[in-house]
Amino acid sequence: MIPASFDYESPKTLNEAITLLASREDAKLLAGGHSLLPAMKLRLASPALLIDLGRIGGLDYIRDSGETISIGALATHAAVAASRLLLASSPLLAQAACNIGDIQVRNRGTIGGSLAQAHPSADYPAAILALDANIVATSQSGERVIPAHSFFTGMFTTALRPDEIITEIRVPKTAGSGTVYKKFHHPASGYAVVGVAAVVRGATGKIDDVAIGITGVAEVAYRATAVEDALRGKPASAIAEAAKHAADKVEALGDNYASGDYRRHLAQVYTRRALQEALSSKRK
Amino acid sequence: MANEERPTTTGFSVIGKRTAMVDAAEKTTGAGKYTDDLSVPGMLVGKILHSPYPHARIKRIDASKAQALEGVSAVVTGEDAPVTYGILPIGHDEHALAVDKVRYVGDNVACVAAETEAIAEQALELIDVEYELLPAWFDPEQSMKAEAEFIHEGRPHNIEKEYHHVFGDPEKGFAESDYVHEARYIANEVTHAAMEPHSTLASFELDPHTGKLGRLTVWSSTQVPYYLQHKLSLVLEMPMAQIRVIKPLVGGGFGGKSEVIPLEIIAAIAARAAKRPVKITYTREEVFWAHRGRPRTIVDLKTGVKKDGRIVAVRARVVQDGGAYCSYGPVTILYSGALLGAIYDIPNVGYDGYRVLTNKPACGAMRGHGTVNVRFAFESQLDEICAALKLDPKEVRQKNFLKPPCITVNNLRVLSYGLPDCVQKVAAASRWKERRGKLGRGRGLGMGCSHYVSGAANSIIRSDMPHSTVNIKVDRDGGVVVYTGASEIGQGSDTMTAQVAAEVLGCALSRVRVVAADTDLTPIDIGSYSSRVTMMAGNATLRAAEEIRKQIASAAARKMNCAPEDLVFREDKVLNNNLGARALSPAKEHRNAAEILETTDAPRGPSVSGRVEGQILRGSLQQKRKEEGPKDWMTFEEAVVAAIDFHGALTGTGSYAPSLDARGGKFKGAGVGPSPAYSYSAQVAEVSVDEETGEVTVHKVWAAHDCGRALNPVSVEGQIIGSVWMGLGQALQEEMVWKDGMLMNPGLLEYRSPSSVESPEIEPFIVESIDPEGPFGAKECSEGSLAATIPAIANAIYDAVGIRLREAPFTPERVLAALRAQKNAKKLNLTEGVDPTSPARFREHGGALWFRGKGPQRHPRDPAITGQQGSAGGDD
Repeated sequence: MIPASFDYESPKTLNEAITLLASREDAKLLAGGHSLLPAMKLRLASPALLIDLGRIGGLDYIRDSGETISIGALATHAAVAASRLLLASSPLLAQAACNIGDIQVRNRGTIGGSLAQAHPSADYPAAILALDANIVATSQSGERVIPAHSFFTGMFTTALRPDEIITEIRVPKTAGSGTVYKKFHHPASGYAVVGVAAVVRGATGKIDDVAIGITGVAEVAYRATAVEDALRGKPASAIAEAAKHAADKVEALGDNYASGDYRRHLAQVYTRRALQEALSSKRK
Repeated sequence: MANEERPTTTGFSVIGKRTAMVDAAEKTTGAGKYTDDLSVPGMLVGKILHSPYPHARIKRIDASKAQALEGVSAVVTGEDAPVTYGILPIGHDEHALAVDKVRYVGDNVACVAAETEAIAEQALELIDVEYELLPAWFDPEQSMKAEAEFIHEGRPHNIEKEYHHVFGDPEKGFAESDYVHEARYIANEVTHAAMEPHSTLASFELDPHTGKLGRLTVWSSTQVPYYLQHKLSLVLEMPMAQIRVIKPLVGGGFGGKSEVIPLEIIAAIAARAAKRPVKITYTREEVFWAHRGRPRTIVDLKTGVKKDGRIVAVRARVVQDGGAYCSYGPVTILYSGALLGAIYDIPNVGYDGYRVLTNKPACGAMRGHGTVNVRFAFESQLDEICAALKLDPKEVRQKNFLKPPCITVNNLRVLSYGLPDCVQKVAAASRWKERRGKLGRGRGLGMGCSHYVSGAANSIIRSDMPHSTVNIKVDRDGGVVVYTGASEIGQGSDTMTAQVAAEVLGCALSRVRVVAADTDLTPIDIGSYSSRVTMMAGNATLRAAEEIRKQIASAAARKMNCAPEDLVFREDKVLNNNLGARALSPAKEHRNAAEILETTDAPRGPSVSGRVEGQILRGSLQQKRKEEGPKDWMTFEEAVVAAIDFHGALTGTGSYAPSLDARGGKFKGAGVGPSPAYSYSAQVAEVSVDEETGEVTVHKVWAAHDCGRALNPVSVEGQIIGSVWMGLGQALQEEMVWKDGMLMNPGLLEYRSPSSVESPEIEPFIVESIDPEGPFGAKECSEGSLAATIPAIANAIYDAVGIRLREAPFTPERVLAALRAQKNAKKLNLTEGVDPTSPARFREHGGALWFRGKGPQRHPRDPAITGQQGSAGGDD
């Protein structure tokens, strides 16, 4: 339970951090530390340099940018969960954030750190996908905007380049839509055995548009496009049938707690429930 | 708040009151010291090398590179202490460090003592061990069929112990029954998961001139300091008198610290080799390997009843997967049979118990030792019988109550029996009659009952000595010090001790200090397990305090010109009962005196000049009372001074041995089960079942427990609630999962015990049956409630959705599988071994994809590879 020895830097500015990251191949970024530090203690990760982003000021904002809301990468899960701005105009991310881990994890963990970690059972990816959010990565060559659908590339892997740092997440406002995040918690770890994020736009029982992000089932969170296609322009009564396609063409993971088949089944049930709830929450 | 209307214990000053634990402040402020908080000069860190193989012969250990590493003081192996030991005299099959073979993944091979933890870990990697792999056994029913390569010599077919008991005539009973029900129940393996990981600090005295080692002091997280002292003496080959064991604060035991755990001896061996103190604290993973938890248990149960539900005969065949060492195994398997009795009136009982060895960490004692899994089976089967015969499960239990005082068919003596009250209370509170079966599909109520011993009437050390002895010393300023060997492990042992002493002496609780569990200072007590402390150490304390009271009374009587038997000890005073109609009632002068004491005396804390102040105070009080009239009372402190002036130092000793008629029968295995008294519990659980996902939500548990008398009601309620939580964990989510003998969930991120966060509402009810042998009528309250929770939930699930779950825990997958089987719906391909409707029942399967490691190698002749003995999947 003792990590291998490593160098430690705590840059005060983003530029310093970017420069440091570019200067060393074996460096890792430290934000909330909830995934990296346990991995280091178990010696699953042994970075030679830790770049602690915690001293960089001004990266934990959540602000209104017109069409979108911009969230600094160092905003904690607790801040995201409690943001009045998000709750008023784009609540899905906050709904997901309040389901993460426990109070301590939410107070320490950051949205940028969680997205970069890309844990297959993390909560944010489902919401980020369903929202078609954009992730801003910064390196010495400047900013790059990565759309959610091309950000998560595999288990613990993302489209980030080694020299890039996530600096901002931009989520669209969802006024006029119902949003819901439904989660089946692992009883011990609190990770999502299955997490379904749904954004539903529609009126009086008819669905105009729908987006569904699902985490926990496969190696990487995904959009349930088969369900979405089956529901656009359809009445609410189509939900039950459409939700059965929630895990189509997905290779589901199994573990000690839940088999792949069971996860697939849960994805269907939770997708249906999320959609029905999103639609009814919208009507309110 | 529960129990507002509970009749309060009357006539007592200290007991029966809701009393904060005497160690609450140090624990909640963080001032208290647990073993890992301790440090002594020159202390080294010990780290243990564990076996990566489930069963292998050690061909060679080369520790030279580790030894040469800078900062390493000593590397020890089995050669350093080859004597075997074990908690039971009949089960000395463990080496602190493996000598010839390793028998489970995690078995102890070597220990490094180094300046820092990092160096010690680095050194472990330098130890080269050559193993020869042996076939390994993981499933008890397969292991029992083994013909060769046994795990221990002298244990053919890997059977540690088997017992076959017949009481009455079960076969005749079944023939006379109107209805016979038979089924197999499985409870999977669970562990204690105490918050504090095991920790031991061992330090030898060193002669500065000769360098020779002297006495050994061991601080350890233990429930059994005296057993530890004894086993250290055995393995280190030193006299017990040369060994002092001290138990600092312990952060939970639940049975996981109720026997000698390898690190406790390894630390001493390493300290001896290094000639420096060594501390070892287990990582959480090592705690899981040390284990000693509740074995996976297969119960084949058959019950015959009359049409009205009256039980005629019971037969049980129980197989326990005991892991690689004996541990408490024979006791566990005997409890499983013995405690079929002493709860209901069953005239005919047959029992076949098999404790089987497998290549996994040893199972041992865990809260509700031996009875929990069989109780799950029994109470579930009773519910199944009620469903078949359309009877009310509550009424059927009532029809089968014992009629104490009685001796059961298997020779267990039952004097106090609060089960009827318990059942009544939870049935009324849950509105059982109006609500069971009427909550609509998806929601239901279930009932379960249980019982437990208040200590074993026959100690495992097979000795006639009293099971507990307590000394009390009273200082001149009225401070009372109780010396007890009983181990406070969070259950309230020290508080109970202080309360009993204060009640008998009629003094303020704050006068009493408890010095506990230090083998140099405290008289022998065999430890905190089998819920024995209140009954045994409580009785010993009571007797020691009575002896002190006698001494004080004889001196005080002289001073007051009355007979000692006229004196009453109450409210920090000694009162002449003949003159004291007014003294016992809240007479005015009496109250005035109490007020004076409250405001001027200092019994609440030590005072540097306490003696001088006391003398001044005594003087002024005596002056005051001379003016007030006849001497009909003294303060406790005055009386103590009088007694010390008269007798010299005040000391008293009390001991307790269970009465002879509580010690059970004479047949083989009769020693386990008898107890001076049994506690009783009844519970009703209300659950709902999500039929789409299989999730079970427990909404409320009503739990009534007969603890004889509640010495500290808040503590009793805490124990009831804690037991229900632990039962909830085993019922719904806790399960150790294995792959090739490797534990797949050895951490609290994968293995979850419920905590207050996920607790349903639990309403505890205290039932007081006032046991004739218990101190003030008290009996056990820390374990008995657990066993009722699991069947109460199983039965509630049945009431909710009509499925019978015969395998615990009732995980969402298992519940869903049963629901699909009920509806003949398409089966899902669930986690291997989880689906209770699939024939392969043994859960031994691949781990999480993202935790997929290499795993240990298997021997080519391993039955799991060759398939000769069937796969590890079993084939019932």
